[in-house]
Amino acid sequence: MEATHLLPEVTWVGVLIKTVIILAIISALAGFGTFIERKVLAFMQRRLGPMHVGPYGLLQIAADGIKLFTKEDIIPQNANKLIFMVAPLITAATAFIALGAVPVFPDFTVPDFIPFIGGTFVPSIASDLNIGILFVLGMMASGLYGPLLAGMSQANKWGIIGAARTAIQFLSYEVITALAILAPVMLVGSLSFVDFNMYQSGGVSSWLIWQQPVAFILFLIAGFAETNRTPFDLLEHEAEVVSGYATEYSGMRWGMFFIGEYANMITISVIAAIVFLGGYDASSSIGWLTIMLKIAFFFFLMLWVRAAWPHVRPDQLMWFCWKVLMPIAVLNVLITAIIVLL
Amino acid sequence: MGEVQTINTMVDITIDGVTYKAKEGEFILNAARANNVFIPAICYLTRCSPTLACRICLVEADGKQVYACNAKVKEGMEVVTKTPTILEERRAIMEVYDVNHPLQCGVCDKSGECELQNYTLELEVDSQSYAIPDTKRETTNWSSVLHYDPGLCIVCERCTTVCKDMIGDAAITTAKRGGEAVDKAYKESMPKDAYAMWNKLQKSVIAPSNGTGETNCSDCGECIAVCPVGALVSRDFVYQSNAWDLKRVPAVAAHSSDGAQIYYEVKPTSIANRTEKIYRVTNEWNYVSLDGSARFAYDFQNTTAKKDEKAFQKAIEAFKKAKTIRFNAMITNEEAMMLQRLKEKTGIKLYNPEVRAFQKFLREYQAASGNMLWSTDTDTIMKESDFVISIGASLRNDSPAMKYAFNNVQKLNKGAGLYFHPVGDTLIPTFGKSIEVFNHKAGLEEAALYLVLELFADKEKLPSDVKEYLDSFKSTRTEIVKEKVEKSVKEKVLNEETGEEEEVTKKIKETVEKEITVDTNALVDLLGGDASKFDDAFAKMMKKKERFSMMLGEDLYYHDKAENIAKLVALIEATCPIDVVMAPPKSNALGVALICDLDDEADGYTVGYNEKADFVLSALGSGDLDMPAMNQQEGTLCNIGKRVLPTNAAVEYNGYELNDLVKVFTGAPELTIDWTKDLPKDKGFRAIEFDALPNCFENDGTDNRGYRLENSTKEVPLPKVERFDEQALLDGEIAYRCNPARQFNDFTDKSHEIFEPFGLYVSKEKSESLGEKVEVVFEKGSITLDVIVDDKMTGDIVKVPDYKAFEGIYDLFDGLRYQTVTLRKV
Amino acid sequence: MSLAQFKNRNVGSQSYVTLDVGKPPQGGWCKFKQVAKRTFKGELFVGLWVVFRNMLQALFKNDMHTVKYPLEKMPISPRYRAIHDMLRLLESGNYRCIGCGLCEKICISNCIAMDTRYDEEQRKEVSEYTINFGRCIFCGYCAEVCPELAIVHGPRYENASEQRAGFSFFEDMLTPIDKLNLQQEYDGFGAISPNADENIKKTPLAY
Repeated sequence: MEATHLLPEVTWVGVLIKTVIILAIISALAGFGTFIERKVLAFMQRRLGPMHVGPYGLLQIAADGIKLFTKEDIIPQNANKLIFMVAPLITAATAFIALGAVPVFPDFTVPDFIPFIGGTFVPSIASDLNIGILFVLGMMASGLYGPLLAGMSQANKWGIIGAARTAIQFLSYEVITALAILAPVMLVGSLSFVDFNMYQSGGVSSWLIWQQPVAFILFLIAGFAETNRTPFDLLEHEAEVVSGYATEYSGMRWGMFFIGEYANMITISVIAAIVFLGGYDASSSIGWLTIMLKIAFFFFLMLWVRAAWPHVRPDQLMWFCWKVLMPIAVLNVLITAIIVLL
Repeated sequence: MGEVQTINTMVDITIDGVTYKAKEGEFILNAARANNVFIPAICYLTRCSPTLACRICLVEADGKQVYACNAKVKEGMEVVTKTPTILEERRAIMEVYDVNHPLQCGVCDKSGECELQNYTLELEVDSQSYAIPDTKRETTNWSSVLHYDPGLCIVCERCTTVCKDMIGDAAITTAKRGGEAVDKAYKESMPKDAYAMWNKLQKSVIAPSNGTGETNCSDCGECIAVCPVGALVSRDFVYQSNAWDLKRVPAVAAHSSDGAQIYYEVKPTSIANRTEKIYRVTNEWNYVSLDGSARFAYDFQNTTAKKDEKAFQKAIEAFKKAKTIRFNAMITNEEAMMLQRLKEKTGIKLYNPEVRAFQKFLREYQAASGNMLWSTDTDTIMKESDFVISIGASLRNDSPAMKYAFNNVQKLNKGAGLYFHPVGDTLIPTFGKSIEVFNHKAGLEEAALYLVLELFADKEKLPSDVKEYLDSFKSTRTEIVKEKVEKSVKEKVLNEETGEEEEVTKKIKETVEKEITVDTNALVDLLGGDASKFDDAFAKMMKKKERFSMMLGEDLYYHDKAENIAKLVALIEATCPIDVVMAPPKSNALGVALICDLDDEADGYTVGYNEKADFVLSALGSGDLDMPAMNQQEGTLCNIGKRVLPTNAAVEYNGYELNDLVKVFTGAPELTIDWTKDLPKDKGFRAIEFDALPNCFENDGTDNRGYRLENSTKEVPLPKVERFDEQALLDGEIAYRCNPARQFNDFTDKSHEIFEPFGLYVSKEKSESLGEKVEVVFEKGSITLDVIVDDKMTGDIVKVPDYKAFEGIYDLFDGLRYQTVTLRKV
Repeated sequence: MSLAQFKNRNVGSQSYVTLDVGKPPQGGWCKFKQVAKRTFKGELFVGLWVVFRNMLQALFKNDMHTVKYPLEKMPISPRYRAIHDMLRLLESGNYRCIGCGLCEKICISNCIAMDTRYDEEQRKEVSEYTINFGRCIFCGYCAEVCPELAIVHGPRYENASEQRAGFSFFEDMLTPIDKLNLQQEYDGFGAISPNADENIKKTPLAY
């Protein structure tokens, strides 16, 4: 807690700048994420991936963006129009709101030569809530309304099934996420990400992953499920339910689901990096780089897994959640509690 | 002759274990063909004499190897068509044929219907054992239509055989090839017949028999038809189309009265132009032979036709106005029937100078003989007759079928022939050895018929006045004849060895003069023969002759005394053992003669159908209203064989038909061919729908096309015939209305492969007195013509063609075929 | 094969082999054991390794499967049947087609047409030749039946165009005369088999 006091005061201008940075960069990163995903999957299948737009296909995101923006926004006749229109916003908004409480980039001071905002301190977290983790998890959980409402409003069978799957999958795995992260929280004794970071500032050996390996794995699995990644990508599994909750969506509304999803992937990566892998090393000058690498690793892991593994059946998913993961998580919490007590 | 006598006696023979009926004396091959048994044969043609060139028809008859094409069947004969040795022999022969045969089946016109290909496959020749260096053989064009590629020729001699035995021109023959001799070593190693065949093959090619490199013939193209390989092709057809691309349309040759069976072979004109065009004409050459007009005059269709309603309205007006319809023989029975119906309905006159005389003649004949039609046909003559008499027909020009029959009888039936015609023809005597040619004066046809009566009639049956009249020509006279006599003379000869005199008997030939009495007949002299020699010659001709037939031509119908001639013909039929055939002048003259009531004269406003008139319906594309040509319409035609033959449309036609016009004036059925079943039954037609008419030859060559006209007969007393008037003959220059060999009408003229020009045809000696161009002056007008030498003609009579209807030749001749003219050099 | 066997349509019972996969896990504990077994067996990581290895090979050993199609083209099999080529004789430069019409005859979609004529050198000349590529089904019969290997299937498989007629001019299919040296001998459908000599009987020659 002391460390924060060493920092300059956080002004509302700084928060605003941070917000803009998050929105701009993360949404750009989300788009870039799609490019990276396509590239990585291609390489793993010994393909080239997108190559033709820009050097090595780098401008493919721009092309996709132009395509998504200019595509016709189709709203089905029998859909509940308001909800149908709002649903993608919920997904995107909640994803970005969650990022507001996560330390994404290191803090810095805007150089003085820039007019108006020169000298403004920009914090690493837009809002360092003392219940950061809780807030983030809550925000991500509320993101479930996006797909749920989208699926239910579009008057489409596949959408309904997708929505139903969303509800059960997200709700179920929210439990695992929470229980998994509860153990480290008990050890750290705070819900603030900054405190987690501080707790592990003693080098690699102090990383929580060593004390809580089970919690780490549980969190990772649950994270995959919550971000709708393979092997738990059942919400919109093409072979089964066309495109699930996104069946009727087109254009930018459809794009927003994906921006949300990729933002969530980043969020999960960030949480995993901070909670279990030591976060950013505030004392080191390359601390921001280490966390970047950690985030990048988790992001890459998600793509890697997608390239390698098949997805599971919905029944296996639920069975796995309630009968395997939850008991383990509860046990982990109990054991941790006992250790903490002792 | 025995063969002819027993021609219809059937015997049982066994071929490969199956028993068949065959005509006694028939060749094994023909018996097999008639019974649908396959014996391979390349060189043999059913209606010609065996050539024995290919030797592939080798079979075993009663245990002995014989050639099926020249061994005759006997009662109970056992024929085996395949034995190991025969198969070996046949295979060797096919291998020899394939030696050096160019492997250019890809470009060959015959590919796909080539007998060399077929037999090579049939006999499973899959390898070659023989070899010999090839001789260079250049392709040549024998005439304006014949293209010969000796490189492809297998010298089966079918072309020479058909040209000699059937066509009579004998224009081609085998010639020296100059090829290398076959290696003697093969004599041991290869089958005997194959070796012999190869030896002959290696020595010969086919060439024009006059030695000039160009044939001097009637350009009938029958050699093309029979050629089993691609050696002989029509010049116009070379590399034009593959056989399999052509669609065959069965039809009837439209120009001459032969009514020969033909197939128009059609295919789209080109890639860009998909309308079908006739590429060639083919025939069932084992059963029918075509003349040049049938084979080459095929592209006479009316291509300009479309439904021109204005012209049609004008035509209706013209018909309303018309007093006469003028037409010719180039018309189907159905159309003739329409015109007749029109006449019955409106009283319009039907004028047809081509047919009118024939119709009159036929009616006289019917009245005098009680027969609806003549008693035989040219096919039957070919098969059965061994003595033919031709009167009043220029065989080479008028009726190809009669020419072929006359020739074929000489060649195949060891027959004899009498040829009566005013125009000398050097070809006729070449048909056979027993032919007497009478180049009588024009108009003496009656005398010829009287001579026939004298020679053949059962004198008991003849009316007494005729008998008297005939006797009046007879006389006896004494003649001194030199005779060779052998005498035995005894001589004393000194024997040199012994020095003694010996008596030797020697035979010495001596010529002795002898006085004999000879019967002479003034008729023979009158007809231009030599009465003193004729008796002997005739006696020779009559040896072993059984079946007599007489062929009558157009001269008789256009004779001043046609009526009397018709009666004479009837009398001959009644009193002589002679079958008669009459050649209808051109195309469907018989059909028109039977169906239409023709008028003698045209008057008033005239509508012409392919004829010159005030309003012309024309299939030539030049008239006021277009009509379909004969290759563009369905219908039936009557021919010299007294058959009603169905013909089909080969080329599309888009304009109006006569039926459309007739519909306006009388009730008419929907289609032209709906008239077929309504053709007049009392004239011998039958009530058969057009589509039900058969159109084929049976395996034994029986003509089964359409149906034969019913030939009703009734008993009538012998006709009263008149004596002929020797004084009423034509004097001075005489013109003969006669077409060159392949020209019959405007349609043949229109065809691009017919080249015979419209001109004055004269003999070589006559041409010397005429220039290049001559004005032929008739009583009724004149015409200027180029002089063209016909080197087979002799004598002074000139021929004026009539095939151009618009030249009005019939009018110039005033209903006759011979007319006195003045020839004026131009 | 006897008739009875031949007529037995129950093929499954004859040739299928049943694999012994054991019984599926019964009850929660068994299933848990299966999960644990599979989890710790490391199979999942094998999968991860395989794709990772592939990525490394693709990136660093340049072992990429992708063909950048319009820029790069795979060599196609000689037996591939694309737009036809008309070949020329290498010696004279004349086209090989002799106008035999076999391709026209055998064409089952009836899309080949040719006009021939007797030319001045007494040869059969193909005056017109077209293939209607709107109808052609690229069955290859024409190439197979061609006695001269004149019509063959070329390598031009890109035949999307507004007018397929553009492919069908004889001149377009014919090897350009200036590229005669580049003409490839065809060894696809209808070409002479490598052991053709063994399969034919030699014809004796007297020269």
